[in-house]
Amino acid sequence: MGKNILLYSAILIFGLVAPFVFPAFKVQLSILCVLIVLATTWNIQGGEMGYNTFGNILFYGLGMYLCASVQVGMFFPLAEWTESGGEKTFVHTPAQFFQGMAVGLVVAAVVPTIVAGLIGYAILGLRGHYFAICTLGLGVAAGEISGGIEIIGAGQGFTTPPFPEVGGLEARGEFFYFLSFGALILTFVAVRAIYSTRFRLILNAIRDNEDKAEAMGIETMKYKIIGWMVSAFFCGLAGGIMGGLVGYIDSTDVAFDGREMGVFMVLMAILGGKGTLWGPVIGATVFHIFKEGFWTFFLGWQYVALGVLIVVIVIYFPEGIMGWLREKYPEKFGEVIDEKDRKAQVELK
Amino acid sequence: MKISRTILSFISAIVILFSTSVTSFAKVVGDKIVLGAAISLTGKYSSNGVHTQNGYNMAVDRINSMGGVKVGGKTYKFEIIYYDDESNPKRAAQLAERLISQDGVEFMLGPYSSGLTKAIAPVTEKYGVPMVEANGASRSLFTKGYKYLFAVLAPANLYLDVAIDLAVEKNNGKPVTVAMAFEQDAFSQDVRLGVLDAIKRTGSKKVIDDKLPKELNDMAATLVKVKQMKPDVLVVSGHTKGALTAIRQIAEMKVDVPMLAMTHCDAAKLSKQHGKNSQYALCASQWHKTLTYKDNFFKDGMTYAADFEKEFGYDPPYQSAESSAALLVFKDAFERANSFDQKKVRDALAATNMQTFYGNIKFAEGGQNVDKPMVLFQVMCDGSGKCENKVVAPTKWASAKLIHPIPKWSER
Repeated sequence: MGKNILLYSAILIFGLVAPFVFPAFKVQLSILCVLIVLATTWNIQGGEMGYNTFGNILFYGLGMYLCASVQVGMFFPLAEWTESGGEKTFVHTPAQFFQGMAVGLVVAAVVPTIVAGLIGYAILGLRGHYFAICTLGLGVAAGEISGGIEIIGAGQGFTTPPFPEVGGLEARGEFFYFLSFGALILTFVAVRAIYSTRFRLILNAIRDNEDKAEAMGIETMKYKIIGWMVSAFFCGLAGGIMGGLVGYIDSTDVAFDGREMGVFMVLMAILGGKGTLWGPVIGATVFHIFKEGFWTFFLGWQYVALGVLIVVIVIYFPEGIMGWLREKYPEKFGEVIDEKDRKAQVELK
Repeated sequence: MKISRTILSFISAIVILFSTSVTSFAKVVGDKIVLGAAISLTGKYSSNGVHTQNGYNMAVDRINSMGGVKVGGKTYKFEIIYYDDESNPKRAAQLAERLISQDGVEFMLGPYSSGLTKAIAPVTEKYGVPMVEANGASRSLFTKGYKYLFAVLAPANLYLDVAIDLAVEKNNGKPVTVAMAFEQDAFSQDVRLGVLDAIKRTGSKKVIDDKLPKELNDMAATLVKVKQMKPDVLVVSGHTKGALTAIRQIAEMKVDVPMLAMTHCDAAKLSKQHGKNSQYALCASQWHKTLTYKDNFFKDGMTYAADFEKEFGYDPPYQSAESSAALLVFKDAFERANSFDQKKVRDALAATNMQTFYGNIKFAEGGQNVDKPMVLFQVMCDGSGKCENKVVAPTKWASAKLIHPIPKWSER
C-alpha cells in the first residue's frame, strides 16, 4: 500500500505542476485527461462487463451540447446566440461564464445519466454483436438529429461562450486543464471505488457467463443499466469540458464524433488492456503521445502510422499493454506461481 | 501492488519525453516571418484544402522572389508552418493552440471552410493573434465581435441571392418557385439563409427545402421531388462533393429545371470532369480570372491563372485566388505597420484599403471584406464539347449573356 500512495501522490503532483512546467502542452494535456476519462468509462462496459459499446459517444456529445446550451441559455436567449444571421453580440461577464459553466457541467453529467438509464432499459437486453451494432446506430442517429435542431445551431454549429477577460493569456488553458484534470481524478477515484466492491465481480460474472450469473440470482439487467449510467455520467462531464475547450461544437465532427472519439475510446482501452483499472489510463496516454508524435513527424501519413500501430498491437499485444506485462511478470501482479505444482503438472503430461 | 513501480517509471518516461520535445521558435527568425496555418490535407475538405495551400504557396513564392516584406528597413521573407486539420473542427482548434503556444507563431492564415474557421477564431482571438482568412465565409463569424479576424472574401449569404434576383428578372419581375438543397454545414447553411432572404424580398416561394448529409454523394430523393414539383430555380450547395453529386445525378436522372444555381463549380472542376453535363450550371464565385482587378505581384487575373496553371497544372479556382490574396494583405499590413507588434499589425489590417488581382479589399467592423462583390458564372460549352466558365452577372463584369431557361434534356 505504501508504494501505491507514492504512486498516486507522484501522479497528483505531476498533474498539478504539469501546466506550469510544460505551459505549451496544456491543451494536449487537457485532452489527454478527457481521453483517459473516456477510455476508463468505456472499460466499465467493454472490459468489465463484456458489452462492446460504441454508444458512449452519445453521452459525450449530449454533455457537450447541454453544457454549452445551459451556459448560454442561463443569461441570454439561446436561439439568438445560435442564429447565424443574428447581428447581436453577447458577452459573458466572468461571473456569468463560470456560473454557467458550473451549472452546465452538472446538467451535462446528470442528463446523460438519465438518458443512459432509459436507453439502457430498452437495449441492454441485446447481447454481443447485436448490442454493438445497436449502439453504433445511437451515435450516428444522434449526430444527424442534432444537425437538424435549429436552437442548438443545427448544421451551422454552436460557438461556445468565449473565455472572459480574466487573468493573463494562459488563464483559459489553465482553467480547462484543471477542470479536465479534476474530472479525471473524480472519474478515477469513483471507478476505483466501484471496482473494489462486489459490483465489479457482478460485472465480471456478466461478462464471463451472463446466464449463469442470472441463475445465481443476480439481477443482471439492473447492474448492466447502473454500469452504463456510471459511464454516461463521466462521459457527459468530459463532453461538457471538451465543448468549452474546443470552443466550437459541430454535430457530427465534434460532438457525436463516433468516427474519431467513439472509436478512439475503444482503441485506447484495448491498447492499454481492457478489464484492468490501469489499462485504459496507460492506453490513452500511449495513444495520445503516439498520435501527437505522428502528426508532427509523419504529416500526411499520420493515419497510416496509426494503422500500423494498431496492427502491431493486435498481433503482438492482443491483451493490451497491461495484459502483456501481466503475462511477462505475473509475480508483479500478485500472482504466485507454485513451482512444485507447476512441475507436478508438467510431469503428469 | 508491484505494478506501481512499472507505472511510476512509465510516468517518468512521459515526463522526459515531454520535456525533450519542447521546441519553440519565434515568429520572426532571422529574416523570416513565420505564419501558421491548419489546412485540410485529408478528410472531406481535402481537395479544397489543397487549393487553399497552393494559393498560399504561390503567393509566398511570388512575394519572396519579388523582394519580400520590408519592415523597419530590413527585408523579410514569408514562411508558413502547415498542419493537417483533417477537416475536423476539434483538430483545427487544437492545432491553432499548438501553432501559437508551441511553435510560437504570432500571425495566422485561415483554414479551409467556415466550420474550421469558427473553431480556430476563438483561439486566435484569445491570444490576440491576427488571422487573415480566405475561406471562412459564414456570416456568424463576423457577428461574434472578433477583433483579430479578417476575411478577404464576401460573406456566404451573398453567394446565391443574386441568382434568385436574376431568376425573378428573367421571369419579368414576377416571383419564382425555388427548390433548395443544402449540405448540413456552416457554410452551406449560411448560403441557404441568404437565399431565404432573397426569396422573402422578391415574394418568391420555396417549394423544396432539403438538408443534405455531410460527405454528400447522393441527392436522388431531392431530385425526384424536383421532377415532380417543377420549380423555376434549383439551388444546391455542398462544397465540392455537393457540386459533383448534383451534376452527376441531374444528368443521370434527366432533371429539367430552368435555372440551376450552385457553389464550388470551379473548385470541383465541373466543366472538366463532367463536360457537357455541367453545361448551363450557374455558379457563385468570389473571383473569376476575367475580372479586371490589378496588382503589382500577379498583375491581373489572367496572368495569375496562367502562372498558377504552369505551377500546379490546373486552372485556379477562386479558393486559390483568395488564399493568395490573403498573403498580399498580410504583406501590405506589415509594411504599413512597420512593426511586428501584434496590436499594430492588427490595426494596420483593420485599415486595409487596397486592390489585388483578386479584388478590392477593405474590412468592415466585423472583419468581412465589404469592397468586393460576388460574381456569377455559367458553364458554357462549344460544339466540340469544350466547356468554359463565363461570367454572366453582375453586368459590369459579364463576358457572356446568361442562357435562360436551360434547354430540356430531350432537346440537347
